[in-house]
Amino acid sequence: MSSLLAQLFPPSTTRNMELSADVLIILTSAAIIYYLTRWHRWKYLWREWLTTVDHKKIGIMYLIAAVTMLFRGGVDALLLRAQLAVPNNHFLGPLHYDEIFTTHGTIMIFFMAMPLIFAMFNIAIPLMIGARDVAFPRLNAISFWLFAFAGFLFNISFVIGGSPNAGWTSYPPLTELAFNPGVGQNYYLMALIVTGIGTTATGINFLVTILRMRAPGMTLMRMPMFAWTTLVTSVLILFAFPPLTVAMVLTLFDRLFGTAFFTIGRGGMPMMYVNLFWLFGHPEVYILVLPSFGIFSEVVATFSRKKLFGYSTMVYSVLAITFLSYGTWVHHFFTMGAGAAVNVFFGLSTILIAIPTGIKIFNWIFTMWNGRIKMTVAMMWALAFIPTFVVGGATGVMLGAVPADYQFHNSYFLIAHFHNVIIGGTVFGLLSGVYYWWPKMTGRLLNERQGKWAFWLFFLGFWVTFMPQYALGFMGMTRRMYTYSHGFGWSSLNLMSTIGAFVMGAGFVVMVYNFVWSQIHGEIDVTGDPWDGRTLEWSTPSPAPEYNFARIPVVTDRDAWWAIKQDHKSNVIQIKPQEIQDIELPKSSAIPFLMGLSFFVFSVGMVFSWWWIAVVGFLGFVVCMLVGTFDYDDHKEVPRQVIQNTESALGRLQG
Amino acid sequence: MFNRGSQRGRRVIAISPNGPTGNGDEVEARFLAPHFESEGFPWLQIFGYIGSLLLTIAALLAVVQHILSPIGLLTVILILAVAQAALQLGIFMHLRESRGSTWHIITLGLGIVIALGLVGMSMWIMTFKSGVS
Amino acid sequence: MNLPVEPNATQTKLPLEFTDNHESLKILGFWSFLATDLLLFASLFAVYAVYQSRIGMAGPSPDQLFKLGPAVVETLLLLTSSFTCGLAVYEMRHGHKTGTIAWLIVTILLGIGFVTTEIREFVSYIALGDSWHHSAFLSAFFTLVGTHGAHVSFGILWAITLIIQLAGRGLTTITTRKMYMFALYWHFLDIIWVFIFTVVYLNGKI
Repeated sequence: MSSLLAQLFPPSTTRNMELSADVLIILTSAAIIYYLTRWHRWKYLWREWLTTVDHKKIGIMYLIAAVTMLFRGGVDALLLRAQLAVPNNHFLGPLHYDEIFTTHGTIMIFFMAMPLIFAMFNIAIPLMIGARDVAFPRLNAISFWLFAFAGFLFNISFVIGGSPNAGWTSYPPLTELAFNPGVGQNYYLMALIVTGIGTTATGINFLVTILRMRAPGMTLMRMPMFAWTTLVTSVLILFAFPPLTVAMVLTLFDRLFGTAFFTIGRGGMPMMYVNLFWLFGHPEVYILVLPSFGIFSEVVATFSRKKLFGYSTMVYSVLAITFLSYGTWVHHFFTMGAGAAVNVFFGLSTILIAIPTGIKIFNWIFTMWNGRIKMTVAMMWALAFIPTFVVGGATGVMLGAVPADYQFHNSYFLIAHFHNVIIGGTVFGLLSGVYYWWPKMTGRLLNERQGKWAFWLFFLGFWVTFMPQYALGFMGMTRRMYTYSHGFGWSSLNLMSTIGAFVMGAGFVVMVYNFVWSQIHGEIDVTGDPWDGRTLEWSTPSPAPEYNFARIPVVTDRDAWWAIKQDHKSNVIQIKPQEIQDIELPKSSAIPFLMGLSFFVFSVGMVFSWWWIAVVGFLGFVVCMLVGTFDYDDHKEVPRQVIQNTESALGRLQG
Repeated sequence: MFNRGSQRGRRVIAISPNGPTGNGDEVEARFLAPHFESEGFPWLQIFGYIGSLLLTIAALLAVVQHILSPIGLLTVILILAVAQAALQLGIFMHLRESRGSTWHIITLGLGIVIALGLVGMSMWIMTFKSGVS
Repeated sequence: MNLPVEPNATQTKLPLEFTDNHESLKILGFWSFLATDLLLFASLFAVYAVYQSRIGMAGPSPDQLFKLGPAVVETLLLLTSSFTCGLAVYEMRHGHKTGTIAWLIVTILLGIGFVTTEIREFVSYIALGDSWHHSAFLSAFFTLVGTHGAHVSFGILWAITLIIQLAGRGLTTITTRKMYMFALYWHFLDIIWVFIFTVVYLNGKI
């Protein structure tokens, strides 16, 4: 019993900070349970959300999860910056610091950025291409629940069992059992394996959805730009996640079963892990940023009230980026010593990617040229992206120059660079998307004044945080360094960076306030088209009914909805009662949730090497698969009378 | 509404009974007409089986008899393996069959290119043939 | 549209598994899954290719470890099962439910033969003390070949559920689509095995 307790609660989980987190977690859970019981919401929660296969609801759940994870990752970031604010600080111990930068990085990449991207896919793509759902709705829900349970698993590590502490990249030999006993790294490995399976399924789902479910007349070259970037992102996911899974599984085998993949004594090579990890890791960078490129294209065109400039060059540059991104992974480890020829090849391919990316930047600028620009919050995020991403891209080219990289490698210059592209590219883009599509998913507009406050705090905070870090990198400060002494001259720049981080934190708080306030008091979007949009999702009511379109639209031009409005045919969204037909829709199912739960149980068993629990989880998975394969009753008919009533209530019934 | 027959006439299919779907079918059809297998006797399958056995035996004999230098042997058996993969894909996996555009060929082709790059480049990187490292 | 149009052509001329548009999406989805599974095996092949010479202090080399006998038997079993699986699809295309199920059962039996031979091969290596703990090469070998074996085992279970569905429901748009996907999976595993046989076993004997 005491050994079990020691395994569950090692010393790293009984520090004051962790204990106070325990109290907060228990209080929050109690409050949620009380609320659900007091207002009899359990059934509603289960029926409408936990078992749903509707892409619009899954998108909202992804969004909620992502914002929650942004909070957790953000708190980690503030703790790190608080530790680094002044020299010789001992606010966090060295091991504690390691744990926090590990969870910060892992959560921000896998459990914040990825779900936020999938939120955008789910909310926008089927509506944009004129489809009633994704190709495989139940698989879509399975993807979500695998992600959600993996995120839950990763997040409990710091209070039960101990947090991983080898960085978000987790290179061996530091992650081998001999150097890293305890279960922290197992948490990291299992969480990434499980969420990776879900992500791969999402990739397959959106690939097939976009290739095969577009509305009549929407040829590939008439697709909205966001559909294009979603398509190539799906392809990237398909081919990038297997090497990650293999890297994780091999490390797990080394830790749990004593194999010799990364132990040098028996012939293993830690460098092979690095190779596999970045085979995933570099395409992952583009998985993160390409969806944002798509969102910018939509937002910039809408708020400039102009067609996207150079649509076909945009498409070809996206395709070029996709292909090139598979040939650059070594630039993450030029200093490993693979030799001059290897480094030159990958250095050149890295710098080559700047060309298609530069083309895209010019296209966005020319889209705005002579446009009637409307300064909404969504547009401001898009505008903020351009200078931010250019700086991040330029420093990326500097890092891609091999000899220079030997100087910059693993310094704060690198830290500043990747935050510059990931926040400036991915996060700005996704926040732009959140502000842009919020009315479509909730039916209410976000308050613009609060949104602008959030924007300016976050944007200025970002520059104050990360510009000093470039200088710190030049001055020799290396990454993952937990404290530094007075004499280095790093003190004022570090303090500045910390202040900036807290300003960003304030921006986040205002943004969440903005979301909550607008959900209660926000202006209701009655038209479904608050921005005078160009693409099909704005032809639906906000929020769209369960079946999305009472009648599938016919597309004749690139900006389909804009073309319809220009031809004064916007009454096509009104349907005559006699034209309404029954609609077949996927049926809710408990299997996705239970499958996620099974994976969670399996993972707990693997993390703690409690094999019988792992077996229980695995059997749960098998049962879910069996029930799923024999379940032929996965569709329901929405009768035409119901559709007629819905359309009539929305004022979209003709005559 | 457009239906399409193959040159041989007996494999007649209708791609989209409800009219053009717009998802690229019209364009792609000109490049690669979908093709569905329906022979009266499984000649193709038998041919594929015998072919795969012959290719396996050839590779096995080449190695056991050491007919070439190691590099030459490796090249030969890899070529035989690729031939066998092509056989499986073409005959047993009905690679040319699809409804509408043959997107799966593009996906799979890209996958093969990236898989080859992954294996080849990894081996190149991990040799550490470096004068300076 | 300059395409030949045959007014008499009807939807029923499509093979059953392609007639329902939504079901046919799943076939494309499954091809995409195979593409990502291909990358999974490619990663394992890359690991094996780099590790095959890294045999640690005293571990066996590929040449010392492998016996070609079991590998050849496994190859023949899997190639034959691929053929019988092809025949099952052939029977399905001709609307013969019994033939489909019969060939599927033969496929399963051959698959079970493959898995048992492989397990016996593994056990014989481990009995000599060559388990996957001993060297990077052995770890890579057991993981690559074992991952394939696990795929085949999953395929066998899948085929059993398929037989139950075919027997109970006959050849419908859904059961034929599932059968078609299973066949894709099974032949795909055959291709992977051909490369394992070539890169692991034959290459080890060069």
